[in-house]
Amino acid sequence: MSAYRVTQHAALADRKPVVRTGVSLEALAEGTVLHLLARPNTALPEIIGDAALSGLLLRSVSVGQWFAVGRVALRYEDLDAIQQKLKPVADVVDQSHGRVGILVRGPHATHVLAKGTAIDLADATFPVGQSSTALIGHIAAHITRTEQDAFELLVLRGFAESLWDDLVRMSLEFS
Amino acid sequence: MASLVTCPHCGPRPKEEFTVKGAALPRPDPDASPEAWVDFVYLRDNPRGAYREYWHHTSGCRRWLVIKRDTATHEIYTTSDAAGHRGEVTP
Ligand SMILES: [Zn+2]
Repeated sequence: MSAYRVTQHAALADRKPVVRTGVSLEALAEGTVLHLLARPNTALPEIIGDAALSGLLLRSVSVGQWFAVGRVALRYEDLDAIQQKLKPVADVVDQSHGRVGILVRGPHATHVLAKGTAIDLADATFPVGQSSTALIGHIAAHITRTEQDAFELLVLRGFAESLWDDLVRMSLEFS
Repeated sequence: MASLVTCPHCGPRPKEEFTVKGAALPRPDPDASPEAWVDFVYLRDNPRGAYREYWHHTSGCRRWLVIKRDTATHEIYTTSDAAGHRGEVTP
């Protein structure tokens, strides 16, 4: 047996939540992120039923692509079941350890994010439930408006600390 | 180069989100002459004016696009998903 054990280490384990006046940052527990890749003409309702069965939420990524996200890590058997079920429609790539969630919440959340991204985050153009991938500074992140004042960022694990530190600086004016 | 590129899927985005992938040229037939293929693979014009290029929305939807733009005025005429141009070959 190897002397080296596999250890679990959350990407943002040492980043404590940041609470400022009107905006807060929180690293989300590493749950489930499945990347679903289907043909470009695949419509959302066609796969939403299947993914919803496992309590996952679907977020649009690109043409024919979605993230299915959940707060808890699924067991291998459950992942396998989803993969088998979606096989006729979409390929599933488990990104649960590949992408890290950061929640930016508060009435000033749009103000903070606007410093780094070109997306128009106004209510009318980016309503609750809307998702898009865009640069935040020099880091690409998947942005979802989960509530009126809350945005969930999904970022590649290797960029998570860097994006977090950027967000800390971007929100400094509200400290 | 234009600062804002309107992706057909994502809307207007800064050019930093994109990667320019070179001239979008009609592909020769598989049995075209070696000269035609050398021309297609290696030889490029460097026009001042209208240009047609592949762009990849690297930090967005990650789709390949075909962008018609003007290298002199920086105007972008049209943007479209490259999938819609599949199978374009020289007449
Ligand atoms: Zn795009």
